[in-house]
Amino acid sequence: MDALLADLRSALSDDRVRYDAAQRSLIAHDASVFDGGVSGPVCYPVDTSEVQAIMRIALTHGRAVVPRGAGTGLAGGAIPLGAPVVIAMTKMNAILDVDLDNRVAWVEPGVINLDLSRHLRPMGFHFAPDPSSQQVCTIGGNVANNSGGPHCLAYGVTDAHVVSLEIVLPSGEVGTLGTLGPDDHGLDLRGAFVGSEGTLGIATKVAVRLTKNPPAVRTLLLSFASVRDAANTVSDVIANGIVPAAMEVMDQKITIAVENFVGAGYPLDAAAVLLAEVEGLEGGADIDAERISDLGRANGATNVRQAESDEERALLWKGRKTAFGAIAQIKPDYYLHDTVVPRSALADVLETIYDIAKRHDLIVMNVFHAGDGNLHPLLLFDARIEGELERVHAAGADILRACLAVGGVLSGEHGIGVEKQGYMEELFSADDLDHQNRLRKAFDPACRANPGKVLPMGHSCADIQALRAVPTGVWG
Amino acid sequence: MIPGWLRRQRGPDAVGKTGVAGAGVPAGVDLKLDADDLNMCVQCGLCLPHCPTFRVTGDESMSPRGRIKLMREVQDEGAPVTQDVLRSFESCVQCRGCEPACPSGVPYGHLMEQARESLAEEHLITPRWQRLAFKPLSQPKVLQLGSSALALANKTGLVPRRLGLPDDLPVRQEPLRASGDDVYLFTGCVMDAWQREVHAAGKRVIEAAGFGVTPTNELAPCCGALQAHAGLAGETRALAERMMRTLSDDDRPILVDSAGCGAAMKDYGHLLGTAGAAAFSARVFDIQEWLAEHVDRLPSVAAPLDLRVAIQDPCHLRHVQRAHAGTRVVLRPFVREIVELDDDGLCCGAGGAYSVLEPELAGAIRERKVGVIDQVEPDVVASANPGCSMHLAGAGVATVHPMQLIDQALSQPQPQPVGA
Amino acid sequence: MGASVLAIDDPVLHEFAELVGAEGAVSVAGGRTRWEAGGTLSPEAQVVEAPTGIVSYRPEEMTMQVRAGTTVAELDAALAEKGQRSALADRGGTVGGAVAVGESSVDQLGRGAVRDSVLQVRYVSAEGKLVTGGGPVVKNVSGFNLPKLLTGSLGTLGLLAEIIIRTNPMPPASVWLRCEGLSPARARDAVLTPSAVLWDGGATWVHLEGHAVDVRAEQKQLMTLGSCQEVGGPPPIPAHRWTLSPAQAAAFSASEPFLASIGVGRVWASAPQPALPVDPVAELIGQRTKQLFDPASRLNPGRTP
Repeated sequence: MDALLADLRSALSDDRVRYDAAQRSLIAHDASVFDGGVSGPVCYPVDTSEVQAIMRIALTHGRAVVPRGAGTGLAGGAIPLGAPVVIAMTKMNAILDVDLDNRVAWVEPGVINLDLSRHLRPMGFHFAPDPSSQQVCTIGGNVANNSGGPHCLAYGVTDAHVVSLEIVLPSGEVGTLGTLGPDDHGLDLRGAFVGSEGTLGIATKVAVRLTKNPPAVRTLLLSFASVRDAANTVSDVIANGIVPAAMEVMDQKITIAVENFVGAGYPLDAAAVLLAEVEGLEGGADIDAERISDLGRANGATNVRQAESDEERALLWKGRKTAFGAIAQIKPDYYLHDTVVPRSALADVLETIYDIAKRHDLIVMNVFHAGDGNLHPLLLFDARIEGELERVHAAGADILRACLAVGGVLSGEHGIGVEKQGYMEELFSADDLDHQNRLRKAFDPACRANPGKVLPMGHSCADIQALRAVPTGVWG
Repeated sequence: MIPGWLRRQRGPDAVGKTGVAGAGVPAGVDLKLDADDLNMCVQCGLCLPHCPTFRVTGDESMSPRGRIKLMREVQDEGAPVTQDVLRSFESCVQCRGCEPACPSGVPYGHLMEQARESLAEEHLITPRWQRLAFKPLSQPKVLQLGSSALALANKTGLVPRRLGLPDDLPVRQEPLRASGDDVYLFTGCVMDAWQREVHAAGKRVIEAAGFGVTPTNELAPCCGALQAHAGLAGETRALAERMMRTLSDDDRPILVDSAGCGAAMKDYGHLLGTAGAAAFSARVFDIQEWLAEHVDRLPSVAAPLDLRVAIQDPCHLRHVQRAHAGTRVVLRPFVREIVELDDDGLCCGAGGAYSVLEPELAGAIRERKVGVIDQVEPDVVASANPGCSMHLAGAGVATVHPMQLIDQALSQPQPQPVGA
Repeated sequence: MGASVLAIDDPVLHEFAELVGAEGAVSVAGGRTRWEAGGTLSPEAQVVEAPTGIVSYRPEEMTMQVRAGTTVAELDAALAEKGQRSALADRGGTVGGAVAVGESSVDQLGRGAVRDSVLQVRYVSAEGKLVTGGGPVVKNVSGFNLPKLLTGSLGTLGLLAEIIIRTNPMPPASVWLRCEGLSPARARDAVLTPSAVLWDGGATWVHLEGHAVDVRAEQKQLMTLGSCQEVGGPPPIPAHRWTLSPAQAAAFSASEPFLASIGVGRVWASAPQPALPVDPVAELIGQRTKQLFDPASRLNPGRTP
């Protein structure tokens, strides 16, 4: 350990290589409830050459590396397993160049998602992916998770907005994937890299596409007497050929918690609310807003309200985007799921989820990207109460399987991380996983980048699993 | 399934925890934090960008989420209070910018104040020299004497520029006199010594609205805010009780033109936990907040000041008192243009004594703020807190108290009506 | 557990896998409209054809599951019946061919890129096994992104058998304009979401799609900026596909006919694009990928994406 630390410190500086117990304890966690992480030295590089140096030193010392952004992941993707070298990218947070001719911005991975859009606002552009954590999550984290967000319904998720990447491979080599043009010269390695959860290498510069800010935005809040009515409205909107910018549903419990925090005027008596937004030019936005309102009413909407000012609109979105955090008003812990089902199955699956929670005697809340069938059941619990965790765990497994059974997938935007790797074999065959593993090995033959994530045990980098058994005391 | 997934391993032998106590590291400090308050944090991380120290360091241990996690480990799991844990707590500006950002409503400010109080009791933070330094604040004569000495030192160039002391620190000055008994104007300690012209301006503005003002002067020498920040809650409580005794003859409003003092005085109800203290706190208003309700009683001016004014909301006005809207209401009629800073009210780094105790971090935070100010190219920055003003002035930013702008607008020679 | 989810029960795909087998050089032919892309196929390669037919079309989900040998024309006809379309361009070929080549339509700005619209791929591996990558829903980050890797790989990593593609509603109104005296960059900036802005060195062609009221408004706007006339469609598209940055494409010039797609960076030119410098690390990863997916180099020998 001393030799590793000495090498890292001579490559960076003493104060940017941390190994104190407090730091390691904090870095062993993200926003998920996973508690089994063990961090090695924590490095704060400031440029690509330092990331490269860290990679090479880690390789020399036989250590894995794990990148970290803001630590808002919900699947444990950034949690260090087996005391690897952690590379915290938060100091690489410069917006390097805004290139309006190519409509791209080159940024470092530590740039905060919302800071980028804020920077672009005077120029009339924004970065389209807008995860609920956008005020804190980083572009690097968005790349790692192929992040979505409410407005990805119309604009597509992160991989549609990342055109090129400078990466450092686990071997220490620096390369560029993707071009500013429509495709790569060769395989679309850029597309393979986005969403790989830090297992293929570390992005050190990212060229993101700029999206023009629309002149017209209409935000609708529809109230319903049942979750089913809200879900049916969502599938009707899509079936009628309307692709709104966003369609989000919250059930009553979460709406009340959110309203307590933001005071945006969310109705407290509705069983579900649908927040729908359409964007574009004035005329078309009005037409779409009217049609969505009509479809809502046809499905039994008890109230339809259109935000009348930017402030009102911002407040409604603030409520939606801070929903997860607001639940501590009810219980101190939550387990947030992330699955996708066909949109037409939404209403039935939601019913099943409420039944599952009831069976396990748990509170469940639903707040989700209804437009693309991306569910976020939120199970509430108190870890201090004996047995609650086990019930949460069991309910979570039931929910996942119910989603898979209707043709859904494991994750729509949070990723697999350590949370869902145990379920990968229920979605993919051994041959499928073997091919995913080949892709991983093409980038990282020695399994040095974020080992023990995504692919289930036995499929990739199994030797790394042994590292997990190392007790803290050996390193500390 | 990975062992450990969904398992909060609470208890001293959990892996990855803050470790074991080594030589010279105190273990088992009871932070005396409210267990339910502490448990409210769900670690979502939404506070991170609203924390000035996380913003400039990118370091989780310098974030509210990180600090709360460490509090939990010390209190719930008996983790030792290492130098790194202390560093994490002491680096907090206590701006409380994280509180409005927290959807779970974690009372971070109170947690941090309590943690510091417990650590100060164990003599782990706030060394003797700091405790001594806070003494004169509650003793106006000593403070005035010291201040005069400092003013002389400043004039002769003995004080570092970065402290941002005004060039014209008054060497000697007369106290403000009462003009009536409608409202109290809290004059306080450092501010009365260094920026009495702000009080004077505020007093004239309130008088212009037709109210008689009683400056508190020696009735209430200090609010105790700086002591509370340093974990010296005992001294704060004593000061609070003293002030409540001398200012409770009647129930007239107590106006405060320093956001930090106002926040502390509005918190007496929580600090002392008595109905009397809560009633006292309910009488405390930020001067802009109170005036916003009476702005129609101010004389109108023919020509507002020809200035583009950026409003810098002091954290203790915006995040703690949440009363920053009033500043805009009262200023709007008196200046040409008001511009907002696009940083969600992120702290400037002043933080009471913070800029003196943590000059490096405070400087980095200020640099960020100056960048945001430069973006909107104001003629002057209006700040309702003397600490922020001085801290920003130390970086060459032209600052002024909102009351001084209104005072100036009101005292301008008004154009004579034609034919008069 | 989960066997029903995983099992590929379409016998036609299994027949295709058997046809491809596990040994010997092999290639799959679609419409042969881009047969020379990426190099000349080695003559010893056995050429097979991919299975055809639409497997399931769920317009309300905006997804289409289709076997790779189905023509784009057949796909378009089925979609049009339900008022939808996809990102694939009909150049007389097959769906599998279009995905393997990864060439988006001239309306890429409006219809999206092919690489962003492939949700799931099923392909026959070099070992002759059926492999699934991605998933059937419109949003998915479960595991590594094999659909991205396969799209545009020219069949060198696996032979496409079946694809699930995202579909989109057909916009209610559409107009093509040919404008003179209007630079392509200015045209692009003047409208919010054109489906295409093309530049042939003399005139700017703009494809506006959406609600009729919006299309009319933007058409009016463009007409104030230059001399624009409604036309039936884009000009003829030259044969050779170039990849440039959007800025380079906007500044493209050549003596032979060309067509530059503004905001995309695609140029269709009369001559092939000169070889570009390749990033050595990307090349290394590409070679390792090929080696891992097709160690014996039996899939589409002679071709390189």
